Amino acid sequence: MLIEKAKRGIATPQFRVQVDNVRHHGVTLTRHTLNYALLIVTAFLMAFPFLWMLSTTFKTQSAIFSLPPMLIPDRLFTPDMFSSYERLFAEHNFARYTFNSFYVSLMASIGQLITASLAGFAFARLEFRGKNVLFGLLLATALVPIEVTIIPEFLLAMQVFEPLFNFFGGRWIDTYNPLIVPSFFVGTTGTFLLREFFRTVPRELEEAAVVDGATVFHIYRHVYLPLSLPAMTTLFLLAFINNWNALLRPVIYVKSPELRTLPIALTTFQSEYTAQWDMLLAGSVVTILPLLVVYIFAQRYIVEGISTTGLKG
Amino acid sequence: MRYAKITPYMFIMPMLLGLILFRFGPIVASFLISFTDWRGTRPPVFVGLGNYLEMFNSDVFWLVLLNTFNFTLLYVPGVMVLGLGLALLVNQKLKGIAVFRGIYYLPAITSMVAVALVWNWIFTARFGVLNHVLRTYLGVSNPPNWLSNPDTALLVLVIVSIWKSAGLPMMIYLAGLKGIPAYLYEAARIDGANGWQQFRHITLPMLTPVSFFVLIITLFDAFSTFEVTFAMTRGGPLNASTTLPFYIYNNAFNFFRYGFSSALAYVLMVIVMILTYINFRMRSRWVVQDAY
Repeated sequence: MLIEKAKRGIATPQFRVQVDNVRHHGVTLTRHTLNYALLIVTAFLMAFPFLWMLSTTFKTQSAIFSLPPMLIPDRLFTPDMFSSYERLFAEHNFARYTFNSFYVSLMASIGQLITASLAGFAFARLEFRGKNVLFGLLLATALVPIEVTIIPEFLLAMQVFEPLFNFFGGRWIDTYNPLIVPSFFVGTTGTFLLREFFRTVPRELEEAAVVDGATVFHIYRHVYLPLSLPAMTTLFLLAFINNWNALLRPVIYVKSPELRTLPIALTTFQSEYTAQWDMLLAGSVVTILPLLVVYIFAQRYIVEGISTTGLKG
Repeated sequence: MRYAKITPYMFIMPMLLGLILFRFGPIVASFLISFTDWRGTRPPVFVGLGNYLEMFNSDVFWLVLLNTFNFTLLYVPGVMVLGLGLALLVNQKLKGIAVFRGIYYLPAITSMVAVALVWNWIFTARFGVLNHVLRTYLGVSNPPNWLSNPDTALLVLVIVSIWKSAGLPMMIYLAGLKGIPAYLYEAARIDGANGWQQFRHITLPMLTPVSFFVLIITLFDAFSTFEVTFAMTRGGPLNASTTLPFYIYNNAFNFFRYGFSSALAYVLMVIVMILTYINFRMRSRWVVQDAY
C-alpha cells in the first residue's frame, strides 16, 4: 500500500510541449557543451572506482605501491597483462566460485519467478477470502529488516531442517538449500510487480479459454504467462542480480570452501591476501563482469523494472 | 472464470508457506527469543527483560545507536541529494544520455564486497590514491588514516554507501521528473522565472510525492546497512563504525548470543517502525498532495 501510494505520484500521464525551438542557436551550443562537460565529469567520478580497480589488476606489485600512483598500469599490453587473472583461476578456484554464483542465482531466481507469478496471478485475477489482508501483510513485511528475521531463520535451519534432512540422509547447513529456498519462497517485489502486470492484461484474452472450459491453471499457464514475458524477464534479472550479490546468507550458511559464491570467496580472499591488490581486485572484476555484461544487454528491462516497482528486487 | 473456492489458495500456497516459514514465523520467534538467554548450542533460558536491561546498561550499545543515527543523518540526505542531482543531469534530451544514465546506475548493480575492496584501496593511508590527491593537489599535509581512525571510519562507510545507492533514487526521481507537465515550465518562463526559480517552485514541489517515497526506502536502507560495514571495517576500529545491523550480526554469528541479538533486532525494528510512522504522519506537512 505504501508502494502503491508512491506509485500514484510517479505513474501519471505525461504532457510534452516542445518549447526549445525558440532558443538562439549559439546559446544552445554552449549550453550543450557545458552539459556534456558536467555529464562527463560526473561519469568519471562515479566510474573512477571501477577504472582504478581495472587499472590495478594490470600492475606489478611495485607499480601498485609506487608514489605518485601510476595511472597507466605497467603490465598493460605486455604478455603477462592478465597474469593476476590467470593466477586467480589457476591457483584460487575462481572458476568454481563463478559457477557456484551462477547456479545459486539461477535456481533462486527461477524459484522466485514460479512463486511470484502464481501468487501475483491469484492476487490480480482471483477472488478469495483474506486476499486484501494477505496482500497488505506481504507488503508490510517488506519493511522488516532482514536482521530481524535472520536469527530465527538460522535457528530453524540448525534445529529443525538440519536434523530433519539428516534423518533422511541429506543435509541442510553447508548446502545451497538455505541460500536458494528462502529467496525461492519469499518474493515480495516479484509478487507485487507481476500482480501489477497481470492487472493490465485485458480480460477478453482469457474469455476464449474460459469458453473452451480451460482450468484456472491452464489460463495462468497458457494465457497470462506467455503475455508476461517482458515482466518476467525484468523480474528474473532483478532477482538474479540480487542473488548474485547476496552476502549475509552465504556468510552464515556456507562452510565448505568449494561451495563459496563469489562475494564470500572475495571476503575470505581479502583476509588471506591483504596487500596483493592486483589479485584482490582481479577477483572484484571477475565478480562484477558477468553482471555488467547482463546489464549492458538488458538495460531496458532492468530500468523498466526499477522505475515501476522502485525496489531492487 | 469459474473455480473451486480452494483454487486461489493453491496458487498462493508456495508464497504463503515461505512467508510463514521465513517472515511471519521469524518475526514472532525473534520477539520470543529476545526474552531468553540463548548462547551457542546450550538450550535457551528465560530471562525476562534481561537482554533489554543489559543493552540499556551497555556503553557499546549506546555508541552503536549513536553511530546508527549519525550514519542515517548523513546517508539519507546524501543519497537523496545525489540521486536527485543525477536524475536532473540525465533528464536532458542529449545524444548518448542513456550511456551516462547507465554509468551512474552501475554502482547499484555491483556486489558491495567487490567495490568495497577497491574503496579500501583508494582510502588506504599511505599509498591510497585519495590521500595522494589530497597531499599533492589540495595541500593537505597530513591527510587522515581514513579506515583506522575512529573519527573517520564511519564517514568512509557513509561516502561509499551514498555512492553505491544513489542509482535507485536517480531512477525513481527520473520517472518523477518525466511526469512533470512541460506547460508548467513554459508558463513560468513566460512569467520570467529563471532556472533556479523554476527548480525551486516547480520541480521540487512537484517531486515531493517522489521524495517521500525515496525518503521511506532510503531510511529503511540506512537502518539495514550491513554489507558495507562487513566488507570494509568489520565495525572497527573499536566499534567506531559499528551500526545496529552489523552489531546484531556480530552478536548472533560471531558471539552466538541469539537472545541478546534478537533483543537488538527488535529495537531496530521498533525504531524503523516509529520513524516510518512519523514520516507518514508528517507527510501532509510537506508533500504537495495534488502535485499532478
